[in-house]
Amino acid sequence: MITSANPELDLTISRVIKAPRSAVWSAWTDSAKFAQWWIPAPARCKVLEMDLRPGGSLVTQISENGGPFMPHLRGCFLAIDELERIVFTNALVGGWRPAEQPFMTAIITLEEHPMGTDYVAHVMHKSNADRNVHEQLGFYDGWGTVAEQLARLVESRA
Amino acid sequence: MEQYPERLDGLFQALADPTRRAVLRRLGKGPASISELAEPFDMALPSFMKHIHSLEDSGWIRTRKDGRVRTCAIEKKQFSAVESWLSAQRALWEGRTDRLEQFVTTTSRKVQP
Repeated sequence: MITSANPELDLTISRVIKAPRSAVWSAWTDSAKFAQWWIPAPARCKVLEMDLRPGGSLVTQISENGGPFMPHLRGCFLAIDELERIVFTNALVGGWRPAEQPFMTAIITLEEHPMGTDYVAHVMHKSNADRNVHEQLGFYDGWGTVAEQLARLVESRA
Repeated sequence: MEQYPERLDGLFQALADPTRRAVLRRLGKGPASISELAEPFDMALPSFMKHIHSLEDSGWIRTRKDGRVRTCAIEKKQFSAVESWLSAQRALWEGRTDRLEQFVTTTSRKVQP
C-alpha cells in the first residue's frame, strides 16, 4: 500500500492501542468524539464538516484561550474503508476541488491486534519547501505546541 | 533521550519548568518585553529574571536592551536544533496519537468495566 516512503518527507507513527478497533474507528469518524482529541487542550476543536466518503469534506476549527473559532484543517477524504483505513489530504477540499495550500496526505490504518488495535498513521508531505508556507500560516503558534510536546516528552522521561 | 547529543541537554533542561515553558509559549506568538512576560506570574522580578537568564543561557531566547526596556525573542535556530521541520510534524502527529489513545482507552474502560 505504501509504495514510495520518503524518509525526508514522510513520517509514520505506529502504535498498539489497547482498545477495540471499533472504538478507535469511532473516535476518528464520530465528529463529536473526534473534536475531543484532535486538538490539544485547553484549545477547543469544532468539526464543521466530516463527510465520510471519497471526495467528502473534512473541516475543523480551533479556538485558543477562549477566543473565536479560527480555521484549522480543511481537507478532503480520499478513501474510507470501514474499520480499516482512512485517507485524507489537504491538497484537495470537499468535492476534490484543488486546495490553495497543498501540504500533506495522511493514511490512517487500523488492524486487529491481540492487545487491541494496531494503529498506523502515515503522513506524506509535499516538500520541505512547505515549511515556508507553514511559517506564513502561523508556524509561530505551532512552535508553542511543539515546545509543550517537547516538555511533555522530557517530563515523561524525567 | 540517549540519542540526543549532549549539547541539547541544556535545551531540554530549560524546558523542565512551567514558568519557562509559559514564557516560551508566549514568545512563540512574537517578541515581548520583560515586564509583559512577567505580568502573568505572581513572582518577584529577580526570581523571574532567573528564568529569563536560564532560557537565554540555554539558547532558547535572545534578549536586547533598548533604553530601559529589555525585549525577548525566541531563538528559532534552537527549535530546529531540537526538532527539524519534519520532527515538528511528527510531534504534532505523536500528540494526536497520544490523545486518541487516551480517549479510546478511557472511553472503552467506561463501556466495559
